[in-house]
Amino acid sequence: MKKIRMGCGSASWGDMLDPAVELMEKGELDYMGFDHLAELTMSILQRMKDKNPKRGYIPDLLPWMRALLPIAREKGVRMLTNAGGANPEQAGTDVMALSKELGVDGMKIGVISGDDVGSRLDDFRKQGLKFENLDTGEEDIDRIADKIVAAHVYVGSESLVEGLEKGADLIITGRASDNAMYVAPMVHELGWKMDDWHKMGTAVTVGHIIECSAGCAGGMSNFWKEIKEPWRVAFPIAEVYEDGRTIITKAKGAGRMVNEWTVKEHLVYEVHDPENYFMPDAIGDFSKICVKDIGKDEVEVTGIGGKKRPDMLKMTIGYEDGWIGESEISVCWPDAYEKAKFCEAFLRGRFKARNLTIDDVRFDFIGMNSIHGPLSKMTENLEDINEIRVRVAAKTRTREDANQVRREVTHLWTHGPVGTTAVISPPPPRKVIGLWPTLVPRELVPTKVEMMEG
Amino acid sequence: MTTYKLKDLAYARSGDKGDIVDIGVMAKDDEAYQILKKHLTADKVKAFFSPIVKGKVLRYDIDTLNSLEFVMHNALGGGATRTLCMDQTGKAYGPNMLRMEFEDDD
Repeated sequence: MKKIRMGCGSASWGDMLDPAVELMEKGELDYMGFDHLAELTMSILQRMKDKNPKRGYIPDLLPWMRALLPIAREKGVRMLTNAGGANPEQAGTDVMALSKELGVDGMKIGVISGDDVGSRLDDFRKQGLKFENLDTGEEDIDRIADKIVAAHVYVGSESLVEGLEKGADLIITGRASDNAMYVAPMVHELGWKMDDWHKMGTAVTVGHIIECSAGCAGGMSNFWKEIKEPWRVAFPIAEVYEDGRTIITKAKGAGRMVNEWTVKEHLVYEVHDPENYFMPDAIGDFSKICVKDIGKDEVEVTGIGGKKRPDMLKMTIGYEDGWIGESEISVCWPDAYEKAKFCEAFLRGRFKARNLTIDDVRFDFIGMNSIHGPLSKMTENLEDINEIRVRVAAKTRTREDANQVRREVTHLWTHGPVGTTAVISPPPPRKVIGLWPTLVPRELVPTKVEMMEG
Repeated sequence: MTTYKLKDLAYARSGDKGDIVDIGVMAKDDEAYQILKKHLTADKVKAFFSPIVKGKVLRYDIDTLNSLEFVMHNALGGGATRTLCMDQTGKAYGPNMLRMEFEDDD
């Protein structure tokens, strides 16, 4: 029976490189997929491209390819990445130049475009589309129309499959869904029809399991105590058979673990309704999924279902939405808690005295309540607390006000209680990109592949 | 009457999509799962998170994984890019939920 082995090489912008290299070397792979994009990333990349038309893709792409291309060529592994971000064409051009520098001859790169609809929004609106906000229910994008930074559609794997058919060694996309990087090889190699919803449901679900790199292999894990060598991180492999049976595993000798629990942890992660896991290529149904340990670091996954792909695709519009100013400073024993309260009162008063326009403000006492907020259990002996790091974050309308928030924190150094210290270097004011999730009819967003040959 | 601590019965992992936080709760065994199915209702979870979560809370059951999925709306201060929370992506909501205690009132 036909099968393929796909490895995951990245789950985000800034993920670890060496587990990807180890997996490429030892994984006996046919394909490696990479996800580098989060919801916010497209707006950041679009702004980079607006400033410099030769930028706007994930900068990590070049060092990643420098490390991986020669090994991939030697092992015959084809790669798919959405690191193209807001500028997949430039990413293709630059990786092609890199491949020549590395002596990797005859590269074929498939560049996928069509997901960037920023310049088409006005047209869409003229056609009567209003773009209701899926989070807030707001019916029309009028309120943010003049603040829009970027608009990208989560597209599926059709053009990626076409690129593989045309012989691409590397596929570079923009905002294709994370799991399209894995769906495309399954369709291409296993002969799965893209309207066989059972198979496509399997494909998007298998993609979900491995697309988050170590997420199914001991990363973010409840079972972290079982990890003997924390520094050794392993990325996963999905071995998928023609009939849909799938084994999740990792390269022999790689660190950490893949077992029923680590796979389950990822199956319940960020999925909303498990019976209706919406992806551009299909709706996955893993309400009856079974996972079973069949060997050391080998988990069999069966029982995945699927339904027809949605007619509407998800579009995320990024828009400018003010600024965040934040900073931190430390107070110490004795009376650390009382000192932290003093700092909070100081800052609230200073913000008022300086007439800062603040739409929202939050104080955290790091070490006490900064992560679990009001549900944190307070320690009984407040006088025993060694230290508290006071953090303030404020949402402002202007950069100047955000900057003043952090300057006021710095003033606590010399105008706060005795022993207040460790200002370090406060982060610069942060421009806020609001995200407006909405839907767009699939037929309005065709994608295409362009082949580049070296 | 028995008092259960969720930490003794389950593992949990959480993450975000926009202003939604999902928490996957995995029962440690079959017996624990039956207790969770019966007692860990969406209403109880919403009440527990009421100081933080402003919107509706939905529950989905995955019997084959002994797991419950809780989907919490308006949960992250406007979403990862806008929130003032340090836990911008809701990763710590799962462990926070393990603080829950509930009673078997049969």
